[in-house]
Amino acid sequence: MPLKAANTVRRKGPSFNPPRPVKPAAQTSTTTKRASGTAASRATGGSKPAASRSDILPAAAILSSDEDFEEDNNEAQSDGDELMEDAPEEEDRRQSGVLDNATPPIPQPLLARLLYENFEDDKTQIQKGAMNLFSSYMSIFVREAIARAKDERDKAARRGGRSEAFLQVEDLEKLAPQLVLDF
Amino acid sequence: MASNEASEREERLKSALWYQIGQFVDEEAAEKQFNATPQFIGALTELVYTQIANSARDLEVFSKHAGRKVINADDVMLLTRRNEALESILKQELDQMRAAEGQGESGQAQGQAKKRGRPAGRGKGKGKAKQ
Repeated sequence: MPLKAANTVRRKGPSFNPPRPVKPAAQTSTTTKRASGTAASRATGGSKPAASRSDILPAAAILSSDEDFEEDNNEAQSDGDELMEDAPEEEDRRQSGVLDNATPPIPQPLLARLLYENFEDDKTQIQKGAMNLFSSYMSIFVREAIARAKDERDKAARRGGRSEAFLQVEDLEKLAPQLVLDF
Repeated sequence: MASNEASEREERLKSALWYQIGQFVDEEAAEKQFNATPQFIGALTELVYTQIANSARDLEVFSKHAGRKVINADDVMLLTRRNEALESILKQELDQMRAAEGQGESGQAQGQAKKRGRPAGRGKGKGKAKQ
């Protein structure tokens, strides 16, 4: 807090003439960037006005005041921003269908390597579409295993067997036979 | 020596899989408020590895049975033959992928548009040279 107070005092000096036209410009750029709704774009949105300002205002003191200004901006927007960031991501997940393929449990190169290692014939190949589909299949498998393990843990907790929340090997042991039969 | 090398390669692949599964479980755990013991992650890795190995052999045999050497999406769909719910999910996924490909062919995906554009460009170039 004492730091911030010192900054505001320092900012008063240079902000007298140059930063004033800059201030509305920076805000509009961040708001338009925010519409796209990603954290990355917010970062570039922060850096772009700084770069453009550095063209106009080469003084070091003013640049440091810009940083303070951006910090203030982020603080002011943080409440609204989080909501905006979350909303489109959830929409994307719904659009991508049953699975969100944004973070497959097993990356495709590794999965392809594992497949090729386990083919008995070296000449066997796999189409890209089939690879994507198999990636979805394994993704469902891993998610299902974890979901069923949680289910087993909850059952054990209800029986009063144990209280801790950790998923354990015995959960997996119980679900493995049915899981493998289902897949 | 050869079998030694193969088993070492298998171990390394398993390690890579272990790492990825561990990362995924940790992410899920942070998101959905649960915890997993390291032993759980290890056992899950073993289970997933075995499933991949079995699927690989299945897919290979399916494509061979169809007289092919290249595995296609139909072979993957055969993996789900005993689970109707899973089949419908993957069918949906497949339809979505095919729809996306269709869009790409109509010029939405840039990569495919470029591939088609290049030979056409060459054709024009030759035409100009002849003229």
